[in-house]
Amino acid sequence: MLRYATLLYVQIRASLLLALQYRWDFVIDGAISVLWAVTALVPLTVAFGERASIAGWTFGEALLVLGWFTLLQGILEGAINPSLVGVVEHIRRGTLDFVLIKPADSQFLVSTARFLPWRATNAVTAAAVFVYAFRRIGHGPSIQGVAAALVLFATAVLLLYSLWILTVSAAFYVVKVDNLTYLFGAVFDAARWPSSIFKGALRLVFTFVIPLALMTTFPAQALLDRLSLPTLAGAIAGALLFAGAARFVWLQSIRKYTSASS
Amino acid sequence: MLPMISVSDLHKHYRVHNRPPGVMAALKSLVHRDYKEVRAVDGITFSVEPGERVGFLGPNGAGKTTTLKVLSGLLHPTRGQVRVGGFTPKDRRDAFLSTITLVMGQKQQLMWDLPPSETFELNRGIYDISRSRFNETIAELSSWLELGSLVSKPTRQLSLGERMKCELAAALIHRPSVLFLDEPTIGLDVSMQSTIRAFIKQYNERYGATLILTSHYMDDVTALCPRVVVVDRGKLSYDGGLEELVTRIRPEKRVMLRLDRDVDASAWEGFGKVVSTEGRSVVLQVPNEQASAIITRALDAFPVEDLTIENAPLEEVMSELFSRSRAAAEEGDT
Amino acid sequence: MSLRNTVRAMPVILKVSFSEALAYRAEFMIWVLTTTMPLIMLALWSAVASEAPVGRFGQTQFTAYFLSTFIVRQLTSSWAAWQMNYEVRHGVMSMRLLKPIHPLWSYAAEHWAALPMRLVVAIPMAAIALAVVGARQLPSDPAIWGIWCASMAGAWLIGFLTGVTVGCLSFHLESSVKVMDVWFALFFMASGYLFPIVLLPSAIRHVVDWLPFRYQLGLPVEIMTGAYDRAGALWMVARQWGFVLLLLGLATIAWRTGIKRFEAYGG
Repeated sequence: MLRYATLLYVQIRASLLLALQYRWDFVIDGAISVLWAVTALVPLTVAFGERASIAGWTFGEALLVLGWFTLLQGILEGAINPSLVGVVEHIRRGTLDFVLIKPADSQFLVSTARFLPWRATNAVTAAAVFVYAFRRIGHGPSIQGVAAALVLFATAVLLLYSLWILTVSAAFYVVKVDNLTYLFGAVFDAARWPSSIFKGALRLVFTFVIPLALMTTFPAQALLDRLSLPTLAGAIAGALLFAGAARFVWLQSIRKYTSASS
Repeated sequence: MLPMISVSDLHKHYRVHNRPPGVMAALKSLVHRDYKEVRAVDGITFSVEPGERVGFLGPNGAGKTTTLKVLSGLLHPTRGQVRVGGFTPKDRRDAFLSTITLVMGQKQQLMWDLPPSETFELNRGIYDISRSRFNETIAELSSWLELGSLVSKPTRQLSLGERMKCELAAALIHRPSVLFLDEPTIGLDVSMQSTIRAFIKQYNERYGATLILTSHYMDDVTALCPRVVVVDRGKLSYDGGLEELVTRIRPEKRVMLRLDRDVDASAWEGFGKVVSTEGRSVVLQVPNEQASAIITRALDAFPVEDLTIENAPLEEVMSELFSRSRAAAEEGDT
Repeated sequence: MSLRNTVRAMPVILKVSFSEALAYRAEFMIWVLTTTMPLIMLALWSAVASEAPVGRFGQTQFTAYFLSTFIVRQLTSSWAAWQMNYEVRHGVMSMRLLKPIHPLWSYAAEHWAALPMRLVVAIPMAAIALAVVGARQLPSDPAIWGIWCASMAGAWLIGFLTGVTVGCLSFHLESSVKVMDVWFALFFMASGYLFPIVLLPSAIRHVVDWLPFRYQLGLPVEIMTGAYDRAGALWMVARQWGFVLLLLGLATIAWRTGIKRFEAYGG
């Protein structure tokens, strides 16, 4: 375990050094993070200018969803995307072998290969959105609400990461998946809005197939004390199941890769 | 006759940022950055006659690629005059661009997911080549390079060597009269290297094209370039015939002898420098002017079955040349 | 580089670029799927309009608006900024500069050559839109459709020239693609991509009128959903082409200074 902690430290340090070389990225990433939060804020403002509540959510409540979205987007783009895009590149150029011959877990190695530390600016933006949201709502969250939301946030990160591992595993079967990154980002965009605006088939997809609802809407509901205990338990179980499935698929893909290349 | 390429007192300097290692230093460089000037090319003068084949040699970072980029108009000189085929390269006029080609072994112009024939076709349009002349050139290049059905397979499916052959064809479709070849055989196997070499020579002879070649493979240079220009740290350290270069740096011959019995190394002292002995073979290094005398003595004294005389290998000549110039530079520094 | 040569080379470049676009059809379909934002916004605004219309927008109008947005975005988008960034960093730009045709013309040609592929997506979407909202939602005046064509050309040019301008930054900066991210964030808010511009409060709308984003997407959408009469549409397209000229100047300057730097430092 200690060895993996050391490895993680080494990898993060390297990313930090790299990030420091591009000083303007700090400013630009910060600006982009704020701007993207605003791009979600503007349509919400326009829409709630017409209505007090939409699909059962008031403006302040919908902002909570946006806050979680901003935070998760930062994690996706800062910690998950960069290294996994690297895997796709490895597979394409045939350099994954260098990773596989290292004496450590391959999934760990590829998932921690690269971070974009400047994306942490998203956390600041998200905090601002949360503060503003609770001021609109008029009261703060309950302790148990915060606790439940934090648990759900952890499951959301796990879900996001597992979804990504599944997507990247596809790279072993389909040659070109560079664009899957963009596709993933585009689908994830739908998580800015409370899931109840989606109707019919789309709602089912976003709850069970690509569980966007679990990532942003559920934590927001938890902060509002609206999430029932069974739903919470179901979300945790679902996320764990998803992570297990992703791990399984990853190991299968690696096995296929190594047997095919030898 | 006017030279095809003339370079006089060419300088190319860059300003680069010093990046020290470590987190603290990186943090510091967020605020303040150190710059230093790098003289990639530092006063080079030479000229090349039409139809000449010139090898451009030097260690990594000597300024070879920079010079080629200046000659092809991609980089502007910091100082000095450059003329290629009567043009000033940096203007990059259409007529100039249609006269030259640049082949870089590590970069490609072929479209990755389409067959090379599509890139040929694209270049036909871009260089405005008539259909009949295009067909004629393609037929000729294909037969020399034995392209056959390669041109209709997607580029990504070709091996490195096949890709290089198609890359050369794509670069020569407009029948340029000046060729800049930057490491054209890099990473290729020995037989593919010799195919490429033979082709380049064939093109040069057929069209009287002038060519400048850089390569790390001395065999390329030996086979293709009667004349070499050696640059080291941006300065010209030799310009002349390949043979003269070798005899100047290493005025010794290599004499390889094979006997009918195992060699006793001690018996060969007095016959020049013994480079190696192995089994029944011995390799001697002898000064040029004494070579024939020593060989006569050896033939008298030993039962020699086989004898070969060679110049020192070019690799050794080059490394000696560079280490000499480095020593000279260090002396100059102190 | 002479214009005559460029025109003569154009058919071949278009043909080969089209083959290249065909070879990347799988990537292209994935890219199409990534531009589904209008459909998600349609879901959001349908939820808003489910009880009562918003301004002149009921559910039908929102459907017409966002499906049109999808079509216009498909036909007018540009990837020049990313391509130039890639090519500068990987040395492909050197290859382009050694060809006797201006690189910007070849970029433009590659964009045009991809249009047939985009129509393959846009035409069925137009058919669906027609079936869902009915032809009565569309303007019947042919002159309006003529103006619409001009607005589409203008919209494409704004996107392309912006892409080139930002792409030229990659001669100077490594992270020029991030500048494009900033542009995109602004584009999302001020182009009509996420909501019809007319729903904005009038003070903000006046600001948006003086930014290029609306003319890059919202204007053609508004024209094809019947928001303007002839005079109104003409006036807006005139403003759009003002932006086109402005960006043309900007792109030219950016290219010249970028190339100057490239020639000094290399790729």
